[in-house]
Amino acid sequence: MSILNRLRLTAHLDDAGLTTIWTDASATGVRQSNAHLESCSPCRARYAELASWLETLRLDATTEAHENFPPERLAAQHAQIFRRLEAAERPARVIAFPRFAQPLTSRTSHASRWIAAAAAAGLIVGVGVGQLMDLRHSLARATTDARVAPTTMARGVDPRMQPGNVTRDEAFLSDLDASLSRAAVPELRALDAFTPRASELPR
Amino acid sequence: MTGAQAAGFTGREADSSAASAVKALQAGGRHAEARERYAELVGRHQRRASRIAFHYMRDVAEADEAVQDAFVKAYSHLSSFREELPFEVWFTRILINGCLDRIKARTRRERWIAPMPDGPAGERDFGERVAGNDPSPEDQLLARERRERLARALAKLPERQRSVFMLSHYEGCTSREVSVVTGLNESTVRVHLFRAIRKLRTLLGEGHAAETKVEKRRVHS
Repeated sequence: MSILNRLRLTAHLDDAGLTTIWTDASATGVRQSNAHLESCSPCRARYAELASWLETLRLDATTEAHENFPPERLAAQHAQIFRRLEAAERPARVIAFPRFAQPLTSRTSHASRWIAAAAAAGLIVGVGVGQLMDLRHSLARATTDARVAPTTMARGVDPRMQPGNVTRDEAFLSDLDASLSRAAVPELRALDAFTPRASELPR
Repeated sequence: MTGAQAAGFTGREADSSAASAVKALQAGGRHAEARERYAELVGRHQRRASRIAFHYMRDVAEADEAVQDAFVKAYSHLSSFREELPFEVWFTRILINGCLDRIKARTRRERWIAPMPDGPAGERDFGERVAGNDPSPEDQLLARERRERLARALAKLPERQRSVFMLSHYEGCTSREVSVVTGLNESTVRVHLFRAIRKLRTLLGEGHAAETKVEKRRVHS
């Protein structure tokens, strides 16, 4: 045996070497015999540690998947798959266009038709009566105005000069005079003295 | 030949005959019978399919939908299935492609929409609610943390390495099967598997070391 081969046999396997052996075993399903691994117990222990770590990963992943897919969930999934397959095979349902669709008939259809007709009739009558009432009111107002206007015209008096209105104007003017004669604010008296009165202005 | 391998071959033969029968029934227009026969195939592969989809999606509802889509798609495209390929491999390819499409769509969606926080009634709690009460709460917490760490580490792997690792290690597929499913050649599959394990070891080792450091600091303070 050459020195190189002897060295190769005695040198410990590194992580990559162990992974290669494991990968080959996993790919083929059979672990190839490795001379060093057979003879070296530390390397065998490290290989066993690697294999056990990978097995833990596999078990964890499988357990998690199984926990998330219990038999009930799988049964529901199975049923759903076949519902979808059936639906896919069933010929497409064509919905009739409303014009050609069968008219909806029910026992209450006559009654509801009568109710609708009565409601429509009620509405029309209501609107008609409303319009008539409004017409009557406006006619009555027009007649009253026509009656009042000739009497006022006959008297020859301007409506603005009626007694009530005159009294109100006089009161307003006397109020104005009173406020002008009253010098309420002493500070404004000088200003007031300078301001010419309407009577003082030249005509 | 081991017992499991023998069982696998028997299963494959059964799959092959069921798939051929479904195909013939579909061609003859006997859809109800075809569906009945297809139920056999669904029953045999449903659990495994859900597991694979969950490893990819990390979300129960999305994994569920991905599995449904894959079975519906496989049924409607069964005419293109070639018997020389095991049904399992053909179906897994459909499933994985669907999952990858969904992940792409989700990534696009998440770019624009803020994620919902995991509420007490969230999907993530479903497993916890239905899980058996054998392990102690502490064990459950540790297991959950370990799984989350593993999921984070797996998510950091490139897509091909992740697929190869999950199919080879979790599902026990040989490099030839993985090569058929992924479209990579066998030696590339082995390289990806090797790299995936090395990277996972680094990532999980680093994560574990960092957590231990934090724990030690907490104890000292």
